[in-house]
Amino acid sequence: MSPIRMLKHVLASAALAGALALGLAACGSSSSSVSGGSGITVAKGVQTPRTEAQSGGKRGGTLTVLNHTDFEHIDPGQAYFNIDYEVIYATQRPLFSYKPNTFAAPSPDMASGPAQISADGKTITIHIRSGVHFSPPVNREVTSADVAYAIERGANANVPNPYFSSYFSSLVGAGKEIKEATGGPFPGITTPGKDTIVFHLSKANAPIVLAALVLPLSAPVPEEFAKQYDAKKPTEYGNYQVATGPYMLKSNSAGKVLGIGYEPGKSATLVRNPTWNPLTDSRPAYLDQINIQIGGDATVIGRQVLEGSGMVQNEAPAQSIVKLAYEKFRKQLEISPGVGDHYIAVDNKQGPFSNINVRKALWAALDRTALDKARGGALVTNVMTHFIYPEIPGFEAAGGLTGPRVDYNDYPEGNTALAAKYMKLAGYPSGSYTGSKTLQVVGSTGSPAAEDAEIVNQTLKNLGFKTRFNLVDSSAMYAKYCGVPAEAIDVCPNVGWAADFGDPQAVLDVPFNGKNIMSTGNNNWGLVNNPEINRAMDAAELLAGTQARAAAWAAIDRKLVAQAVAIPFDWDKAPSIESSNVAGVGDLWDTGEWDYSYTSLK
Amino acid sequence: MTRYIIRRILWGVLLLIGVTALTFVLFRVLPTGDPARLRAGRSASPEVIAALRHDLGLDKSLLAQFWIYMKEVFLHFNLGYSYYSSAPVKGLLANRLGATVSLTVGASIVWLGIGLPIGIVSALRRHTLLDRASMGTALVLVSAPEYWLGLIVLYLFAADIGKVKVFPGAGSYVALTSDPWKWFGSLLLPWLVLAAGSAAIYARLMRGNLSEVMEEDYIRTARAKGLSERRVVMRHGVRAAINPIMTILALDIATLLGSAVLVETVFDIPGIGRLNYDAITHSDFPIVQGTVLLGALFIVVANIVVDIAYAYLDPRVRYS
Repeated sequence: MSPIRMLKHVLASAALAGALALGLAACGSSSSSVSGGSGITVAKGVQTPRTEAQSGGKRGGTLTVLNHTDFEHIDPGQAYFNIDYEVIYATQRPLFSYKPNTFAAPSPDMASGPAQISADGKTITIHIRSGVHFSPPVNREVTSADVAYAIERGANANVPNPYFSSYFSSLVGAGKEIKEATGGPFPGITTPGKDTIVFHLSKANAPIVLAALVLPLSAPVPEEFAKQYDAKKPTEYGNYQVATGPYMLKSNSAGKVLGIGYEPGKSATLVRNPTWNPLTDSRPAYLDQINIQIGGDATVIGRQVLEGSGMVQNEAPAQSIVKLAYEKFRKQLEISPGVGDHYIAVDNKQGPFSNINVRKALWAALDRTALDKARGGALVTNVMTHFIYPEIPGFEAAGGLTGPRVDYNDYPEGNTALAAKYMKLAGYPSGSYTGSKTLQVVGSTGSPAAEDAEIVNQTLKNLGFKTRFNLVDSSAMYAKYCGVPAEAIDVCPNVGWAADFGDPQAVLDVPFNGKNIMSTGNNNWGLVNNPEINRAMDAAELLAGTQARAAAWAAIDRKLVAQAVAIPFDWDKAPSIESSNVAGVGDLWDTGEWDYSYTSLK
Repeated sequence: MTRYIIRRILWGVLLLIGVTALTFVLFRVLPTGDPARLRAGRSASPEVIAALRHDLGLDKSLLAQFWIYMKEVFLHFNLGYSYYSSAPVKGLLANRLGATVSLTVGASIVWLGIGLPIGIVSALRRHTLLDRASMGTALVLVSAPEYWLGLIVLYLFAADIGKVKVFPGAGSYVALTSDPWKWFGSLLLPWLVLAAGSAAIYARLMRGNLSEVMEEDYIRTARAKGLSERRVVMRHGVRAAINPIMTILALDIATLLGSAVLVETVFDIPGIGRLNYDAITHSDFPIVQGTVLLGALFIVVANIVVDIAYAYLDPRVRYS
C-alpha cells in the first residue's frame, strides 16, 4: 500500500473539488438521487459505471481522448497512476482484473481460472490462459515464465516498481531482491509448466498477494525482448513494449512506440493488437483506434468533449465544465462513487490529541457538511462517517453511509455542546482547551483544500486552541510535514486515501497500523499505534475469503472510529464526461475513468 | 568585425557554461531535487534509491558529477533522460522545437506587421483621432492577459466551440511538413493572440522613438535637401527609430522560444514552453535543465544577432 495512488487520487479529487467548489455546492444536494452501489447516492440522470452497458456496443470507429495531463509511466512495471491505467489495461492483461462495474471481485484475465491457495496460506498456484499472444514483433504465445519475469523485473533498480515492496515482499527471496534490486529471478516464483506459475510466500498472507495481482505488474513481459531494454538505466521497455490486450500502442516493426504511438506530452495512439484473440478475452473491444491528445486548457477540452463528437476526457473535468455538464449535458456526465476519502489526521502520539476525548471533541465539533460543500457538495461527495469507503468490501458491515452510532458521529453539521462534553472529559472543565500548547496545523494550498483547512482551523479555535496555521503545496505537505513524524505536526486537515485494489486492508493498514510508521515518507500521518488495533490488523491480513476479510476489517474500522484515531469528513465521487455519441463505460475500480476496451461509439 | 563576432560567440559559450553550472547546482542542491529519489518513484525502498544513486553517479563528489554532466552536455550534447517517459531530452526538445518556432516566428511577423505601421502612422499623426484610437487600443491589448484572450477568441471564433465557427480551434496544430495549409490555419488564432500584446507595445515604442527622431536636426537637413517625405521618414526616420526595437525584438523572440507556455497551453500546441511547464509540475528535472539551457542558448544567439544587426542598421555603429 503505497502513497502514490493515494496522492494521485487526492490531487485529482482536490483539483476536481476545487473546480466544483464555486459552482456546484448546491447542485447535488438539491437534486433527486438514485441509488448506486453500497447505498451511495448519485444525482439523477447522470451515468455511473454500474448503469453503463458493458455489451451491445457498436463495433468500429475512432475515439478521441482529450487529456489535460500526460501519463507518468506506460511501462506496466512502472505504471501506478489512474491515468496510466487507461492505457495499461487496454493493452496489457494482468493475471486478474476487475470488470468495469466492480471494485470487489476481480475476474481471471491472464489467469485461466481462480487461484489455488494452499492450506497453510503460503503457496498460490495460478494457471495461465492458453492462446494469448504478444503483439508484434514478439508474436509468440504467452507462458508462465513471462508473468514471472514481469513480476521479478519489478525488483530491478532500473525499473523499479512502486508497489513491489508493499505487496510482494513476502515472496520467498524477495527480501534479498528488494535489497539488491537486481530483478531476480528468485525462489518465491516458480513455473513448473509453461501454463502454471506458483508463488511461494514466507508468511501466510496469500490473500493480499493475490489481491495485488490485479495490478499491472502481473501483466506478462517477454524476457527475451525486454531484457535488453531493462538493462538500460532506466529501463526503456516502456518505449519498446509489446501488448497482450486488445489494443497496443502503435509501434514500428522493432516494437518501438516512442515517437510513434507515444509522444510524451503530445499524444498516444492505440491501435488494435493483431494477435489479440477475442476468444481468450471477455472484453468486447469495440473501437478500432483510440487517439489520445495530451495537453490543452481543461475548460476548452471540456467544451470540446461536451459539444463535439466521438470524444471523452479521461481525467477530472474543470469546475465550469462539470457545472455545464450537470446543467445542460447531464446524460454525458458520469459520476463514479468510491473514489477515496479525505480526513483530518491528528497526532495520536503526543500533544492534546493523544487524549481520545480531545479527538472525539474535534470530531463532534466539526461541521463535516461545510467541508464537503467546499468540495462540491453532494454531487461529488458524501459525508464520511468511518474509514472503509464505499465500494470496498466491508463498507456496509462497518456502518454503511450512516456509520457507527456513536454520539460524536451523529452530527454532520457539528455539535458544540457535545464537543464541550468531551473536552470536559478530557480534563478541561470549561469545555474549552486551556493548555499552553499552540497547535501546528499544516494544510494544503489550492481550492478546496485551503477552504477545508480554514474550516478545521476555525473549529480548533472554537475549541479553545491557539494554532500556528500554514498552508503549503500538497506534495510538500506530505513530503516535508505530515509525512515526517519528527516535524511533530499536530493537525493535518487535508490528508486522504485511495486503495490500490478492492480490499479493506488496502484502505486501513498503511494509514492506521503502527508498524507502518516511517521516519520519512510516512503515511500513518496521525502516528496511530494502538496495540490492539495493530494485532487485529495483523490477524486480519492472514484471513482468506472476501466475506471473512470484509467482516474482520469492518470490525477494525469500528475500533478506529471508537478510538477516533482521525476525523473523517469526505468520501469522494469522481465525474467524467463524454460526447453525446459516445457510449462510455467507466471503471468503478479506477475512479470512473473510461475503459477503452468496453467504450463504443453510438 | 570578425574578431568582434568571435569574441561575442566566446562570451556566449562562457555564459552558457555559467547557466549550465547554475541549473546543475540548483537541481542537485535543492532538497526536493534528489534525482535518485525522483527517478525511483515515491514508494521506492532505500535500497533501490541507493542503487539508482550509484547508477546515476550521485555517490560521486559534486565536482565529479558536475564534470561528467558538463562533458555529456558540451561534448555529446546528451541532456539526459526524462524521469517518467525515459525518452532522451534531446529528442523531446527537437520534437517540440518546430511548434514553438512556428508559433514565435509567425507571431513576431504578425506583431511587427501590425505594430510598426501603427506606430509610424501614430508618430506622424500625433494627437489626431487615429493616434489616440491606436494608442488606446494598444493599451487595452497590452492589458489583456494572453491566457484570457486565448480563451475569449476560442469561445468566439473556434470552429468547434466558438460562437462564430471560423478558425481551427485548440488541438488542431499540425506540423508544417505534414500539411502546410492546416499548419497555417491552426496557428492563425495563436499568432494573433500571442502578437496582440507585443504589437501594442511595439506600436507604442515605434511611436515614441520615431516622434523623437523626427525632431532631430538631420531630419530637417534631409527635408532641406529636397528628399520626399516618404524617403525622409523611411530612410532616415524609421531606420534610426527601429534600432532599439530590434534589440527588444530579438530578445522577445528568444524569450518566447522558451516560454510561450500560456498560448501553447490554451491552444494545445506541443511546444517547448509547455514541455517545460509539464516538466516543472512533474519535477522532471532533466527536461527542465534541457529547456533552460535551450532558452539560454536562444538568448545568447539573439544577443549576438542583435549586435550584428546593429552594425548593419546604424552606420554610426562599427565594431573593431
